[in-house]
Amino acid sequence: MKYLALLTGPEDIGQSRLFWIVFVLLVLNFVLGPLWMSEFEASNVSYYLLNLPMALGLCLLWGYCGVLSFGQVAYFGIAGYLYGIIAGNMRGDPWGPLLGEVGGLAACAVVSAIFGYFMFYARVQRWIVPILTLVLALLLETFLGQTAGYQWRVGSVQLGGYNGMTGIPWFQLGDFTFFGYSFYYYVVLLVLVSYLGCRALVNSHHGKVMLAMREDPLRTELLGYDIRARQLAVFVIAGVLAGLSGLLYVQWGNYITPSQLGLVQAALPVIWVAVGGRSKLLAVAISAYALNWITYSLSSAGNQYALVIIGGLLVVVMLFFPDGIVVTLARNMNRQALTRLLRRPGRS
Amino acid sequence: MGMPSIVSTTALDKRFGGIVATQHVDLDIPEGELRCIIGPNGAGKSTLFALLCGIHAPDSGHIFLKDRDITALPSFRRVRLGLGLTFQTNRAFHDLTVRQNLEAPFRLPRGGRSSTSEERYQYALSTFGLDTTSDVPARELPHHRLQWLEIAMVLAGGPEVLLLDEPTAGLSPEETLQTARVLRHLNDDGLTIIVVEHDIAFVREVAERVTVLHQGAIFAEGTVADITAHDDVRRIYLGQA
Ligand SMILES: Nc1ncnc2c1ncn2[C@@H]1O[C@H](COP(=O)(O)OP(=O)(O)OP(=O)(O)O)[C@@H](O)[C@H]1O
Ligand SMILES: [Mg+2]
Repeated sequence: MKYLALLTGPEDIGQSRLFWIVFVLLVLNFVLGPLWMSEFEASNVSYYLLNLPMALGLCLLWGYCGVLSFGQVAYFGIAGYLYGIIAGNMRGDPWGPLLGEVGGLAACAVVSAIFGYFMFYARVQRWIVPILTLVLALLLETFLGQTAGYQWRVGSVQLGGYNGMTGIPWFQLGDFTFFGYSFYYYVVLLVLVSYLGCRALVNSHHGKVMLAMREDPLRTELLGYDIRARQLAVFVIAGVLAGLSGLLYVQWGNYITPSQLGLVQAALPVIWVAVGGRSKLLAVAISAYALNWITYSLSSAGNQYALVIIGGLLVVVMLFFPDGIVVTLARNMNRQALTRLLRRPGRS
Repeated sequence: MGMPSIVSTTALDKRFGGIVATQHVDLDIPEGELRCIIGPNGAGKSTLFALLCGIHAPDSGHIFLKDRDITALPSFRRVRLGLGLTFQTNRAFHDLTVRQNLEAPFRLPRGGRSSTSEERYQYALSTFGLDTTSDVPARELPHHRLQWLEIAMVLAGGPEVLLLDEPTAGLSPEETLQTARVLRHLNDDGLTIIVVEHDIAFVREVAERVTVLHQGAIFAEGTVADITAHDDVRRIYLGQA
């Protein structure tokens, strides 16, 4: 019961029974998807979904905690590259990919913990955080970009400079390899678990403290919290979630290039989060899915302007729905439902 | 005689650049007292609170809470040891709901809370008319209820010493009186309270003893009657008010 309350609690969109019915139907729709989707379509849907963990992590950090990171792609890249290195060197070992996955996520946790420690324990001003995080991503991009020569290899794996790392192994558990439909289910499961986990987090007591820190860090500290440690914890969670997206990305496409850590890619998660509405997880999940779908469809149809269109969308949304489209819609739906409930038959 | 002191400072000095904010403050608050701190603008009252809570570190001097030297402790540790502060300008979380405001404070798990601190909190909620389940955004509350909300938030943490920086600023006379009554009640119940206050009517209503700060130093200390009769105090402070 207590755990159920964490999921249905008030800090994300959707408390009503109707909401949960729709939610379950939606999950069912994903689960039964392969009945009507070709393996190719399922693979595309996997792609739209695989960025959700990174978006949700940024939503926790920025929307709930008030700390904007502009460099979540750094963790995306760290996990992706490290998975490539570990799994690539253990090619033939049925547990190599799992080790690569654990190693990639652990590296994200360690790097974000060290980096976050210096930011939060030094109590740097909040507006500096986006710059520092972006700088880390760009440094990594620049470093990886110059790893083109043959001397830049780890074991048997070439880093590959701007051409990137290719031939990254599929994910595999023992003798079972995930691709096509099975990879699709693996992504659906991880994304669902990430979403529900974030939802439980924001409805936990720590979630309430996150909101307080977002509003007023000093006031929160004077309510008895070590805000440095709490911000750091959320930063690490967001870093690991971005790493999860990076893992899924390389397992999906079997390659990664330094431009995945570049300025344009760094801006995308911020756009997904802002367009849906950073204050609610579900809003971010919906917009990240929709925007990835739009970008992917546009660019695979040969459209050069996918990013321009996404950027334009951001501007329009920020002008007309500063709190985000989904958050604004949900709020209005709530209000209408409320007035309908409150309006007595005699008074209308 | 008297109770042992719960909060004390020795020779507390704080400068901001060339400005002397506090100098050689030796404060001594016995357990269970309701102390008012008065003084003209810029006397160093808020700075003294900030030093007590660890918002600023003193240049020299020491701070004790229940005989423990807390001078080097970070703010949240001091809060967990029993200090609670409301700010001079209201700092309830205005963009959160009343429920979210009241859910935010650190509280011991239900079994670990003392029943007196729980009773004080419940008392404040009911007399201030605050609903812990209300989804009204705090910013929609009238000013006096925002002030009360911040006091209630701090009481939720179960403090042993409550520091209130001008809790009645901007309140009507009736609201001020009601606040005074609540503080009196909490203090009668054993809570130590230190209030920075400009409103002399309020001071008369609640305080036993008054400390006068002037240019960062303790200028006078005594009962309300002593202080209001003190010629120099009248000159530097009451005369101007
Ligand atoms: N953070 C700060 N930086 C620089 N100077 C400060 C700072 N805080 C306070 N001061 C200065 O220290 C002195 C004491 O200020 P303080 O706010 O403690 O006075 P106060 O007694 O609370 O006054 P008021 O009645 O106006 O609230 C003032 O001269 C003020 O300008
Ligand atoms: Mg002041």
